[in-house]
Amino acid sequence: MRQILARIDTLLRGGFTEPEQLSLGRVSVGASDLAIAAAPLGLVYGLFMGLYAVMRGGPGAGLQLVATSLKVPLLFLLTLVVTLPSLYVLSALARSRLSFLHTLRLLLAAVTVNCALLASFGPVTGFFTLSTESYPFMILLNVAFFACSGIVGLSFLRKALDAVFAPETGTPASQTAASQVFRAWILIYAIVGAQMGWILRPFIGAPNAPFQWFRARDSNFFVAVWESLLRLF
Amino acid sequence: MSAIDDLLRARGRFAPDASDLPTPGTQAVIVAAGLLYGAVMGSYGLRAPQVLYSALKVPLLLGVSALVCLPNLLAVNTVLGLRDDFRAVLRALVLSQGTVCLSLAALAPITAVAYLSLADYNNAVVFNGGMFLLAALAGQISLGRLYRPLIAANPRHRLGRNAWLALYVFVAIQMAWVLRPFVGNPELPSRFFREGAWGNAYVEVAALVWRALGGR
Repeated sequence: MRQILARIDTLLRGGFTEPEQLSLGRVSVGASDLAIAAAPLGLVYGLFMGLYAVMRGGPGAGLQLVATSLKVPLLFLLTLVVTLPSLYVLSALARSRLSFLHTLRLLLAAVTVNCALLASFGPVTGFFTLSTESYPFMILLNVAFFACSGIVGLSFLRKALDAVFAPETGTPASQTAASQVFRAWILIYAIVGAQMGWILRPFIGAPNAPFQWFRARDSNFFVAVWESLLRLF
Repeated sequence: MSAIDDLLRARGRFAPDASDLPTPGTQAVIVAAGLLYGAVMGSYGLRAPQVLYSALKVPLLLGVSALVCLPNLLAVNTVLGLRDDFRAVLRALVLSQGTVCLSLAALAPITAVAYLSLADYNNAVVFNGGMFLLAALAGQISLGRLYRPLIAANPRHRLGRNAWLALYVFVAIQMAWVLRPFVGNPELPSRFFREGAWGNAYVEVAALVWRALGGR
């Protein structure tokens, strides 16, 4: 456990993504090490998120807690699986030095940073869960925390890509290949991540609704967020 | 008293470039200052239980809100590459919280006098909101002073500070909502938590705004 925490700490401090290493196309930490670090972080946030169902009680509340704590890491894993090939292809087209393995490591590093930030919001989510009945509010709060931590994770990735592409051009990387790759890919990642969350729902568990591992195919993430906003009033 | 003076002026042992944290004695004074304002705030209906509850609630409000946000503070500062300064950041936050408590205590006599002329409970609540706002502004002055050398050394500290403030205010507002009543409506029995207190400040405010705009 201490080793995992130390690894997360080093990653957050930028210890595995030093510009000198990245410029050579290397990410100096194993993919399995990153996965082992990211999974518990996602699980911790999932526990806080699933607390809402436990607080509301009823049949299936415990199962919802288990389901949510498993689904949060799964959400990141599946989003990564779906978007990794496109990141690799786009960065290869832009002639980056990252091999497929190092692209995987880099994306996993960004996902771990994302999960770390998300887990750090856990106590806040727990506090609001304990004090809030409003289901739409909890949906919006969680969307906001996922978005905030996602932005930090993507900023980490963008900085890393800047370092990867910097020696290629000798000009500010943010205005060239790195930026083009990132802009194209971020759109894919954001849409896939949001829709993956929608597919894996329910995460919180609607009050008075029976427990379900997954809900029927219906609507999409963006429409649901808009409807939650309207239901808040 | 000299420690309190140093804390308010951000000088001596509590100067921005020093590293001292408040001693247990000073910490006790800070907590007592929060207790004092809480007690005065709860004295609106002149009921001893409410005085006691409110006295406990003010340090709870400030302390628990900070604790809830602490993991995020650590994560944000680490991601921003500011981890080496984390002790100084924590010190700045602790000292600014101290300033908030001391400012509240300084405003307590004003609140007590105001209660003599505030016949309406709602006005008393609004008045206390104003007092908290003033104390928060004093805390901001303190935080600004303590953060100045950090920001000068690394401008990213500005982002770290703003992220902390945004999350802390967001949590503290809900914490205040959960811990209400602070003033204590004289027409209702004294309770630590209001009956059915668990709810959401933001949902209530959003509903109020929505209704004010003509929504149903």
